Amino acid sequence: MSEKRKRILFIWIGSLITSFICLTPFFWMIIVSFAKFPNFLASKEIPFIFTLQHYREVIGTHDLHVMNYFKNSLIVAVVVTVLAVTIASVAAYAVSRIKFRGKVFIIIGILAVSMFPQISIVGYLFKLMTKIGWINTYQALIFPYTAWVMPISLWILVSYFSQLPIDLDEAAMLDGATRMQTLIKVIIPLAAPGVFSTSLLVFISAFNEFMFALLLTSDYHARTIPVGIALFEGLHGEIPWGQIMATSAIASIPLVILTLIFQRYIVQGLTAGAIKG
Amino acid sequence: MKKRGQRRKEGGSLKYKRREERLAYLLLAPIILLVGGLILVPIVGTLISSFYRNITFLPPVKFIGLGNYKRLFSDLNFWHSVFITVGFTVVSVLLESILGMFYALIIHEKFRLRGIMRAIVLIPWAIPTIVSAKTWQLIYNYNYGLLNYLFMRIHLSSHPINWLGSPMSAFTSIVIADVWKTAPFMAILFLAGLQSIPESIYEAARVDGASMTQEFFKITLPLLRPVIIIALIFRTIDSLRIFDLIYVLTGGGPAGSTSSISVYGFKAYILGDFGYGSSVSVFTFLLIFLFTVIYLKLGRFREGLKNE
Repeated sequence: MSEKRKRILFIWIGSLITSFICLTPFFWMIIVSFAKFPNFLASKEIPFIFTLQHYREVIGTHDLHVMNYFKNSLIVAVVVTVLAVTIASVAAYAVSRIKFRGKVFIIIGILAVSMFPQISIVGYLFKLMTKIGWINTYQALIFPYTAWVMPISLWILVSYFSQLPIDLDEAAMLDGATRMQTLIKVIIPLAAPGVFSTSLLVFISAFNEFMFALLLTSDYHARTIPVGIALFEGLHGEIPWGQIMATSAIASIPLVILTLIFQRYIVQGLTAGAIKG
Repeated sequence: MKKRGQRRKEGGSLKYKRREERLAYLLLAPIILLVGGLILVPIVGTLISSFYRNITFLPPVKFIGLGNYKRLFSDLNFWHSVFITVGFTVVSVLLESILGMFYALIIHEKFRLRGIMRAIVLIPWAIPTIVSAKTWQLIYNYNYGLLNYLFMRIHLSSHPINWLGSPMSAFTSIVIADVWKTAPFMAILFLAGLQSIPESIYEAARVDGASMTQEFFKITLPLLRPVIIIALIFRTIDSLRIFDLIYVLTGGGPAGSTSSISVYGFKAYILGDFGYGSSVSVFTFLLIFLFTVIYLKLGRFREGLKNE
């Protein structure tokens, strides 16, 4: 067999295996969410019957609070994204454009923080949030999340901002623009792909976060959807797999769609964050 | 206007420099406040708290020096969780590098379905960890899980396996679910590395009649080394703090046999034992720090050899 043939065979068989591995669990979640009897594999007597019942239940049953969790997750993730990208852009501008003392120290300090495990701050955060009465509120999640995504956001944005020639700033300022105007009207529009990549990554990580949300929220007023799924209790005993998978599908589909549409930006963001250092 | 710009280009006067510095600090103030106040202060707080006996249901809070650490070092369950965490990290980072490399080689090739394949590879990465943990829990189900069904169908096993029921199989289950979820991240990093290798090197090799395997081991792998090291550091740091997947998939069970350090520490917090939980947290951080230093030293050591 020629090398060319071998290569083509590798690509096609490889694609098949890759698709099987990556898609099977995802499809299984979808299939079970539509199965009238989620245990239909248990024996031949149990048939697979298509139903929308689980979706109807998790969306319609108020006591399950799935829609509350979903709304909470969306609100928290959107606010965190806006806050984090704003704060990190301003900081990235200073780091990539202005000379000042202590720059290296500050950058290393912020990046070193990304090594810490969540467990090393969650206990303190719980005590703090209890003391100031923020347990089970959005702000109890929004501020720690925003702090938590700072290192990666700063890293990605600096790597994008640094690629823009400094002459741009100088030209803008010669025309009388202030530093802030330069950032908003020149740098951010030119680094838009980077800002967008950062926003996507921040949104996804805020939407998916689990440990903080588990300890800092206590019910549907602030509980996010990952915690809701992890602690899912049916209304009638027995593990309600149909409802859990329907909720899981509802939680994943926005992220999967975002990823499929903006695949290019996510890949760029991930690699900028990891490799350009 | 022109005068001001001119001055800037020459490096500027002292006054101008000071103004710029002040502006820089102002722009950095929010990030420093956030990271300082909500990450560094809590870390120092945790460190301090690890020297105290601080149990919510058994006041008072009392300074006990190294008391929590003494308890930690003689706590066999804790050492078991360290063993599990390190073992998990080694096995799963290794496997996900191999699978990630496989994905990367495919999505790097120019063929008709490349765009679709790139999207497919990203799907496990995009799904929330908790969702994947729950889905895998269902797939591992003893009575009606997909895995047992497939295993029986293709006669890999004559009887259903209780995947989450024994320590060894539960550990394996966690590794499989984690590799599934994280290999895409590796693939993306490796893909970026592959794209930076000039095509001309491969063309030259092909003219010399190199096979695909030779190309991979003689060209691709050596040139990817820097990217591989970075990817390994990232994933190792992440694996050492594993929490979500284990907490939901096995809950640390059966009987605490698959608890990671983070799960162990979290359970101490949940029981209200903040002093002890803090000492576990400090240990986790030190372990991650140790691994990072080892990686960096290894990287530098190799570089040193190369320079000689």
